[in-house]
Amino acid sequence: MSIFGAIDTAGSSLTLHRTWLDAISDNIANINTVRPTSQSAFQARYVVAQSRGNGTGVDVAGIALGSAQGRMVSDPTNPLADAQGYVRMPDIDMSEQMTQLIMSQRGYQANLAVVERAQQAYQQAIGLGR
Amino acid sequence: MSISPIGPIGSIPVAPATTRATGTQGAGFGQALAQGLDQLNGLQQTSDTKSVQAVTGQLSDIHDYTIAANEAALATQLTVAVRNKAVEAFTEIMRMPV
Repeated sequence: MSIFGAIDTAGSSLTLHRTWLDAISDNIANINTVRPTSQSAFQARYVVAQSRGNGTGVDVAGIALGSAQGRMVSDPTNPLADAQGYVRMPDIDMSEQMTQLIMSQRGYQANLAVVERAQQAYQQAIGLGR
Repeated sequence: MSISPIGPIGSIPVAPATTRATGTQGAGFGQALAQGLDQLNGLQQTSDTKSVQAVTGQLSDIHDYTIAANEAALATQLTVAVRNKAVEAFTEIMRMPV
């Protein structure tokens, strides 16, 4: 741990929340991506967080993928529809993604607040006895 | 009653060789200062690398640069504070009436 431990710890969490924001952005961007039933649907991305364990923050352990089955939607006019008129839509819930968007944004903000407070604390410590 | 004779003069005990105080006391502050400067230099270099990455579009996380820059600034403040204290102590000693 460096001398500015609190700042580095919050920084690791900032990276995690930024990755989460990226994943949500990708999920929402592809929420209407239609695939033919012969292919797998667009799979939602879920960020897997892992604590570093020694009190120095958190790491992105990987990206988990959602259902490849997706939802079978009847859309006979779609050029990608099969003989029965079905296409495959991704199994992503918009309201759930929006909720996660708020959570990730607030998490990012909270960690930025930690960085700011830690910086103020260190600055006051430096100014001790001045 | 007999007076006992005076014994022969023994060899004068040689004073043990004085060893100079090893420089642990003197080197403590200097070493700490050198270490602090090394650390500061490392932080400044990280900050520089990140700023170059930021302007060339290779930085994936904005906060990586801002945090590095903040840490470098804090470390600089800390080093300057330590240096000021050292100078203060020196001038205080120089002002001592002899």
